[in-house]
Amino acid sequence: MTARVLIVDDHAPFRSLARRLLVAGGFQVVGEAADGAGALSAVRDLAPDVVLLDVQLPDLDGFAVAEALARRQPVPIVVLVSSRALLDYGHRVDASTARGFITKSELSGETLLRVIDGPGRPVPCSG
Amino acid sequence: MQRLRPRTRTAVASAGAAAGVAAAGALVWGGYRVPADLLAPTLVLDLAVGWSFIGVGLVAWTRRPDSRTGVLMVVLGFAWFARFAVAVDTRTGFVVGVLLGSVHLSVLVHLLATFPAGRVQDRAERVLVTVGYLLSAPLDAVFLFALGAQRQLGDGPPPNGLVIAPSNGEFDPAGIDLAVQGVVVVLFLSLLGVVFRRWRSAGPAQRRSLTPGAVGAALIVVTILVERTAILLLIPPAVGVALAWSAQVVLVVWPLALLLGLLRSQLDRSAVSRLIVELGAGLPVPERLERALADTLHDPSLELAYWLPERGAFVDPAGAPVRVEPVRGRALTYLERDGERIAVIVHDPVLAGEPELVAAVAAGAGLAVENERLHAEVRSQLREVQASRARIVEAADGARRRVERDLHDGAQQRLVTVALALRLAHTQLDTADSGELGALLDEAGAELAGALDELRELARGIYPVLLTDAGLGPALHSLAERCPVPAVVGTVPDRRWADAVEQTCYFVVSEALANAAKHAGAGQVVVDVREDGDGLRVQVSDDGAGGADPGGSGLRGLADRVATLGGELSVRSPRGSGTRVIATVPCA
Repeated sequence: MTARVLIVDDHAPFRSLARRLLVAGGFQVVGEAADGAGALSAVRDLAPDVVLLDVQLPDLDGFAVAEALARRQPVPIVVLVSSRALLDYGHRVDASTARGFITKSELSGETLLRVIDGPGRPVPCSG
Repeated sequence: MQRLRPRTRTAVASAGAAAGVAAAGALVWGGYRVPADLLAPTLVLDLAVGWSFIGVGLVAWTRRPDSRTGVLMVVLGFAWFARFAVAVDTRTGFVVGVLLGSVHLSVLVHLLATFPAGRVQDRAERVLVTVGYLLSAPLDAVFLFALGAQRQLGDGPPPNGLVIAPSNGEFDPAGIDLAVQGVVVVLFLSLLGVVFRRWRSAGPAQRRSLTPGAVGAALIVVTILVERTAILLLIPPAVGVALAWSAQVVLVVWPLALLLGLLRSQLDRSAVSRLIVELGAGLPVPERLERALADTLHDPSLELAYWLPERGAFVDPAGAPVRVEPVRGRALTYLERDGERIAVIVHDPVLAGEPELVAAVAAGAGLAVENERLHAEVRSQLREVQASRARIVEAADGARRRVERDLHDGAQQRLVTVALALRLAHTQLDTADSGELGALLDEAGAELAGALDELRELARGIYPVLLTDAGLGPALHSLAERCPVPAVVGTVPDRRWADAVEQTCYFVVSEALANAAKHAGAGQVVVDVREDGDGLRVQVSDDGAGGADPGGSGLRGLADRVATLGGELSVRSPRGSGTRVIATVPCA
């Protein structure tokens, strides 16, 4: 069964390309949201399996959204993305409830799948 | 109160002497039956009290013409003698004596309630003084004319000729007397309260002048209170008589206590010489001059603030800005040197009554104050430099933060999009047609072009290369062309200045244009650059909303930047009338 993905990012060109990349990679993209509040209501309405979540959003940051989602039932798998590198966030990603982290420029169906299937560790990347 | 002229003083003194003699004459030959054993002590004590008040009052009036206390003391002395009219055994003597018989007590209340200024200053004092006067002549007039008081020897020391006799037997004179005495007791208790309250709220310098008078006043009032309560409590008349005598004994000395209080700080003129000696010994610590002045003027709460004419502000000895304004309970004395204000002493208001003493101290300390003022000025400049250094570092950090954010939000996002578009194109190489691939590559190209534009704009904001290559004029014209609000740059002198001068002027214009566009909602901006004297003057005026805050981080940062070159930034931004930013930068 294909995983159902929600893309959360305030940059529309990124959402559009991410959608096409993930669809090409075999995912089903069920929706998009441009900010934290939109993400929370979209998760309630669409119940996605995976949330691809930008760290820097205009309202809440990605860590806070992930925290809120972890209290939901069912809990979606959260994968954080950012145009910054993993090391720019220190240990915040490890300490968060997210499954992992992908630098935006590395995003593809393959990298997302690797994070989802991985042992819950972020994918190391050159950043 | 105006100064007492010598001729007036002689006249009053003579009148006082004559009044005493007349009072003694009335007592001895007036036909009043004074018990023989009481005659001598009565004469001695009464003359001593009256003359003491008149004589000491005249001295107080001469030495402290600003206070009405001296006048009140003189009046009290005359009122004291006026009582003796009752000793003249005629109807007129009786009427005058009864009407003036207790005026001295009213004046005593007036004197005590308003000491040391001698002027009524608040409502409580006004009530006390008014009730005090109503209880003397007006009440005695009621006794005399309405209740039919008649001459009869009463209790207490002579002259005591008033006894209310029942004219028709329908009222009880003892009851009326009791009621009046009750009011007198309440009045004197309130008086004690007022004196105590003033003493408690007084600063140390004021206490020095209040204490001698207040202690004497308390003694007199307590004696009078016990005397009056003795009547209320129906204590034997003999005790009352003894108390009345002791009140008089205290009254003889009390004027001297009042005078001591009035002159106490004046007596301390020797402290001024001590101050000068101490100042001569050197003042290594900034606060020491303040402490030396505080000791000399007996006011530990004294504060000294120096005037910095260039900044138009007062600073404390450590150079920190202080607000100097009239506050209740504090007085200000400005110190001048060669007609220029140099400092202000914030002190106990009682010293305001000692202008000569304060002036002597100011003259003695003048050179030291001027010296300290210069030190305070240096300390103040040092503080300002430290503060501006901190702000410059903060502004630089803020600028770096903004660059990081601009890179992240702008070019970086666009480059990410390019990377993803290329990856998508790569994954679709085998499946998509050339049209789809072409569209993807166009998308990537457009994002790349956008990223390049943003990077160029960012680089220009970090440092305008045109400024280094072509100078201030071309750089400002380029700035104006890119400004969202129409901006006109006047003729800029075609020459080069030091890098720091050009950069500072450029950033002043750049910030002012950005403010005009972002905050002021201006319709037009005019930039004017000219050389005047030994510096460069840059003016940016807009027709926007005005009301710019010169303390805001942008303008404050510009002011700091201009100040590092020894220049000055002024901002005029009345609400509704546009903003004018003027930077003058000296250039060697």
